[in-house]
Amino acid sequence: MSGTIHLERELATDVGQPPAQRERRLRGTVVGLGIGLAVLLLGLATPYVFTHTYTMSLLLEVVLLSMLALSVGFLARHLGMISLGHIAFFGGAAYAYGIAIMKWGWSPGAAFVSAIVIGTLIAVVMGVLVVRLTGMGFLMLTLALSQALYQLCIQTSMRPITGAHDGLLIVVDRDSRFFGLTPAEVMNPGLFWPLAWVALVLCALLLWVVGRSRFGTVLEGIRENEERMRFSGFGTFLPRLAAFVLSGFVASVGGALFAVNAGYVSPELLGFGRAGDSLIAAIVGGLGSLVGPVIGTFLFVYAQATFNLGGNLPLLMGISLVLVLAFLPGGITGTAGRLYRRFKPFVARRFGGSPTADKESR
Amino acid sequence: MNVAQVLNGIALGSLLMILSSGLAMIYGLRGVANFAHGALYMSGGYVAYTVANRVSFWLALVIAPLVLAVVGAALEIMLFRPLRNRSHIEVGLVTFGIAMIIERVVVLIWGERTLSVNPPPLLSGTTSFLGVDYPSYRLGIILIGALLAIGLVTWLNRSTIGLHIRAASQDIETASIMGVNVDRLSLVVVCLGAALAGLAGVLAAPYISLDPGMGGTFLITVLIIVIIGGIGSVGGAMVAGMGLGIVQAVTTVWSPAFSVLVPYLALAVVLLWRPMGLAGKRMS
Repeated sequence: MSGTIHLERELATDVGQPPAQRERRLRGTVVGLGIGLAVLLLGLATPYVFTHTYTMSLLLEVVLLSMLALSVGFLARHLGMISLGHIAFFGGAAYAYGIAIMKWGWSPGAAFVSAIVIGTLIAVVMGVLVVRLTGMGFLMLTLALSQALYQLCIQTSMRPITGAHDGLLIVVDRDSRFFGLTPAEVMNPGLFWPLAWVALVLCALLLWVVGRSRFGTVLEGIRENEERMRFSGFGTFLPRLAAFVLSGFVASVGGALFAVNAGYVSPELLGFGRAGDSLIAAIVGGLGSLVGPVIGTFLFVYAQATFNLGGNLPLLMGISLVLVLAFLPGGITGTAGRLYRRFKPFVARRFGGSPTADKESR
Repeated sequence: MNVAQVLNGIALGSLLMILSSGLAMIYGLRGVANFAHGALYMSGGYVAYTVANRVSFWLALVIAPLVLAVVGAALEIMLFRPLRNRSHIEVGLVTFGIAMIIERVVVLIWGERTLSVNPPPLLSGTTSFLGVDYPSYRLGIILIGALLAIGLVTWLNRSTIGLHIRAASQDIETASIMGVNVDRLSLVVVCLGAALAGLAGVLAAPYISLDPGMGGTFLITVLIIVIIGGIGSVGGAMVAGMGLGIVQAVTTVWSPAFSVLVPYLALAVVLLWRPMGLAGKRMS
């Protein structure tokens, strides 16, 4: 009897999960982290497999843009909110890096850190304004605020700071080093790859772990029924804001790295076009999973390299988006997951073996 | 502030008013933020280019809205109706994809160059109005816009269909329980909204020249206007559209940076202070 009381007290003080399930979840997280580490180490070998600079530059672009797509995907998956504003953090961090180097004269390392900080601060400011809204209002206001930043950036009066339509060419001191790379090496995709890849995998793992934590469960509760969460005693503003800022942080890291590698920032890094591309990539790849946005970004960069000569890329993207939304909800990873679940019983029956315990979906 | 600037503002406001009333009707009835509205506007302009340069501008004023009404019907039947049970954001994103498709198809047909359309002989040149020599064409826009606004509001408030539209915009389930054929109504509204977008495109063609980016330029502004005006309120969208047009045109002289940011600031203020919009009666 005392055992039962002990269990009930535990349930009352800790949200959701009885001890056995929590232990299983923890083990799942550790296994996932192990897999992530393996992926990290394997990925570092990529420049040695794809020695062609053009291929590496495409892969690098995938990695950098994936961080933007990941950030949008995280918010969509856990909070159910679609944001067109994360481009402001990506582009904002990129511009902050450029401004810090060219206008304030900082070293690349300091400029890089300040870029991420500034990008995250923009996320805080936007988050405070946006996070109380849901659905269409949220989408519109994030879009409006990020485009306001874009418009501000291209004004001729801002030319001394942002270079207006021309953008900023970032010239770094020849003796400075960025994580051990010279200014010339930093622009080489093969040499910059380890930095970008490590950043991507770490950010992805961070978002994944946060998603599986108690905080992630709170977010999903807010997504499902915000009022009920409030009645249960949870504040909803701060968790939403924290999720928004976290995703903004990831986008800022991507933008800062992008600026370091490209050595040039232009207003289209803040524009509606890129925001839309990233969102479409995330949707087509699959908003329901962690790697969906990465897959979508990979397809996007590949398609851009192959089809853009005809200028028909927007047509292809529009068609893909409509098809995915109308017929393949969940995008590529969602559809793959559904197919897997549909055929799993057949496979299990065919090859015998005991039915596995029902794993929580992702 | 002189008369010409204010008149510029009213001309721009008239265009925005026509565009946003169409969007507001679709948004009010179907709950869908039609991201393709800018592409429809652009198509209207390009169709007008072909018709006006071959035949006459006045014919374009009739044909382009008709063509766009057909496109709107296609959108309604193939898209909005099958997807009516999906969430509004999903359908909005679908229209986003449609916008990209339409814009690319238009460029494939008409090319990437900037095109211009000449105003009709009746409306070219300037007229002396309120003490300034003002381009007659813009006066024409203002006049047509005013007639359209009066006509639309009267029709919505007096006719039976208008009553049905207002009822369905307020509460679609109750309206259909009361016997309103919501699907047929929706067809009317989407066709009309698309036709209005096309009309705005025709009117804009001699005023602002045609280029592949014209859809995107106005789309965000018009979406902001509809949200500020209030979801489901055509009158609110009209007032907001006219107001924004005037404010933008007037402030552009003393601070171009500020005038460009006006719509965004206005949206932020409205969404934070009164999320249902200035005249809206329904939470989004």
